[in-house]
Amino acid sequence: MGLTDRTLPGGGTSARTGGLFGAGGPTFLTSKIDFLVNWGRRSSLWPMPFGTACCAIEMMASAGSDYDVSRFGMERFSFSPRQADVLICAGRVPYKLAPVLRRTWDQMPQPKWAISMGACASSGGVFDNYSMVQGIDTIIPVDVYIPGCPPRPEALIYGLMMIQEKIRQESLANHFDNRAEDPLAVARPRADDDEVRALTGPFGNSTRQNRVSGLVQTDRISRPEDRLP
Amino acid sequence: MADETRSGLDAVEEGPDVSDAGADAGSGSGSLAPEHPSVKALRARFGDAILRHEMGSPGQHVVFVDPARNFEILGWLRDDPEHDYKYLSDVTAVDYGGGRPLHVVYQLFSMTHHRILRVKCELPVTALEIDSVEPLWKTANWLEREVYDLFGIRFNGHPDLRRILMPENYAEGHPLRKDFPLRGRFSRAEQTRRALAQEVENFYIPLEMDIGREPQLPQGTETAPGGAGDDA
Repeated sequence: MGLTDRTLPGGGTSARTGGLFGAGGPTFLTSKIDFLVNWGRRSSLWPMPFGTACCAIEMMASAGSDYDVSRFGMERFSFSPRQADVLICAGRVPYKLAPVLRRTWDQMPQPKWAISMGACASSGGVFDNYSMVQGIDTIIPVDVYIPGCPPRPEALIYGLMMIQEKIRQESLANHFDNRAEDPLAVARPRADDDEVRALTGPFGNSTRQNRVSGLVQTDRISRPEDRLP
Repeated sequence: MADETRSGLDAVEEGPDVSDAGADAGSGSGSLAPEHPSVKALRARFGDAILRHEMGSPGQHVVFVDPARNFEILGWLRDDPEHDYKYLSDVTAVDYGGGRPLHVVYQLFSMTHHRILRVKCELPVTALEIDSVEPLWKTANWLEREVYDLFGIRFNGHPDLRRILMPENYAEGHPLRKDFPLRGRFSRAEQTRRALAQEVENFYIPLEMDIGREPQLPQGTETAPGGAGDDA
């Protein structure tokens, strides 16, 4: 009659009479809890958009219907850091905005990941001047850097998939080694002085700026009394 | 402070050649500077306080006035019905480097007469002070704060003269001055540490902080459920 069980391709019937593996097959699956947790985490990453410039336009485009980042579980751009998993810093960050970025990161609950999207967020880009943070990795820990000026939506989606791949390889056993954060480090620079100097040093053609203009070297304290204690 | 850095950027260092144009147009009827009704009236009324008159881009009249009398002259330009410059488009400044005077620029527009005028005051680098025009145009409040922030020109009589673009705790100087190094004076590590030491709450005025705060129930609201309990 019309009410008989539908025959499955494997020769079995529906779960009522034996499940996916046919009559007499196992009615449960075993798995590692790592797999389940990582599957859940990577399939429902909620991004925290920290968009400050043209990279944010591409980020919005990737959330739109053409690229549709929600195919990968980034269904909801979370405008509250408390409900976010991955921070996407898209655009240039001036020093005045640095404490805002740091506080947004501090407010996100663990586990959390960060994407530095575009040349300016990753290295300061062309803005090698007095007002601009030379790479947000001096302020927060970054998992994935996406090059481009600005990167296309495909690049952002690829970066998000790299985060997913990173989550897939994580294990709860070393969770606290991977994700430990010193509470005293809140609102402090992520990198120490030597690392900041190495990360922010001028490179390429920009090193000629001081020579051509004859201006003094800037990598020193001209007025030591202005140092913070 | 004298600008001790001679450099390859000669074109920038030299700046516009103002001395020749000023000498030719000093009479007010020179061929370089066609007549502008407001400049003519300014000369008639203020005499020596009007230093010179020249053309910027075509149609843009620039008049240099005595910085000690800028408030009086600009106030007259605003209030006199023949001129009526009710709209202050911009206040900015220019540093030509090399120890030359800084220019404070007032860009005026008269909506009734459809006329524009640029008024400039020259300030020596040793005495960067001028009267604020904030009592005349309220828009000068933030514009003068910006000039103070980036050039270090003090506006006397300004009600709230503090930095507007750079961080509150910025101690490296005034970035748009020609003697300011492109990457700032401190090391990147020191700049990062100072940036993160800012108080983010200071970015907001008290009104904005109130909006962000949790809504408070008005006094006496708690008594209403108690009154309802009596019926039960």
